[in-house]
Amino acid sequence: MKKEQFLNQLKRSLSGIPETEKKEILYDYEEHFRSGMENGQKEEEIARSLGNPRILGKSSRIESLLAESRDGRRAVNVLRAMFASLSLGFFNAIITLPIFAGLLAGLIGLWVGAGSLAVTGVAVILTIILQPLFPAFLTLGDLNIPFLIFASIGISALGLLSLIGMWKLSQWFFKITGKYVQFNLRIVKKQEARE
Amino acid sequence: MNVQFKKGVLELCVLVVLCRRDYYGYELVHTISKNINIAEGTIYPLLRRLTKEGYFTTYLRESEEGPSRKYYQITESGQAYKEELLREWTHFVSSVNNLIQEEEVA
Repeated sequence: MKKEQFLNQLKRSLSGIPETEKKEILYDYEEHFRSGMENGQKEEEIARSLGNPRILGKSSRIESLLAESRDGRRAVNVLRAMFASLSLGFFNAIITLPIFAGLLAGLIGLWVGAGSLAVTGVAVILTIILQPLFPAFLTLGDLNIPFLIFASIGISALGLLSLIGMWKLSQWFFKITGKYVQFNLRIVKKQEARE
Repeated sequence: MNVQFKKGVLELCVLVVLCRRDYYGYELVHTISKNINIAEGTIYPLLRRLTKEGYFTTYLRESEEGPSRKYYQITESGQAYKEELLREWTHFVSSVNNLIQEEEVA
């Protein structure tokens, strides 16, 4: 394999990681080729001793994504690491992905629910304030106003508490997902090592 | 030899070599692959990780042949980490040797 071919294959297997990092990784291998040729080695010989560029790319990519999810703990990174592990032929994707999608949908539903509670309380209070101004559009019926005010404060407080709870729950959800992905990546790495 | 095992040992080798002086990538890879049979390319992801973890720093220096080269330099925490791994390694090797000798006596 020639240098160009090696670097192209490597580049292709590095998709999805930050551009600057990709350049740095490619630079290291380019420099390796250059130094090898200065020492009188042939391109093919250097490529052969370096190993399979696709596997090298995969391990650089996993290192990079894992490092990101360790530093940032950002949901996006966890998701990207997860998809990276899927592309590596992660065997239980068919089982895991629907479960993950279901849980994610449930989580989004709960967020919407908590948000609606918070908004409802505020809306009722606004209605009470604005009712005298727009009697034609807003009606309170024969409900008593102090009761409505207390009820809406209660509902808003409940909504806010649920939102805080949801925040914790989401953090926990993504942390667990990250752990699970790292666990799978370890398995994938072991599989690769055996090949 | 088992590949995972080799990878672990490789980390120690890189640290030990860089304790002697600063090396540039190709030189370092060559020094290690002279002694240990590995796919040379696997050393670069390892170097990147150890650099990210603060065990090495890198700098560019011009070479006599022309283009500049990226040199790796070990940091204080890198040296401490090397000492730790070296202790583990020595302990491991002597335990294995003890076991082998016991076997021979019996």
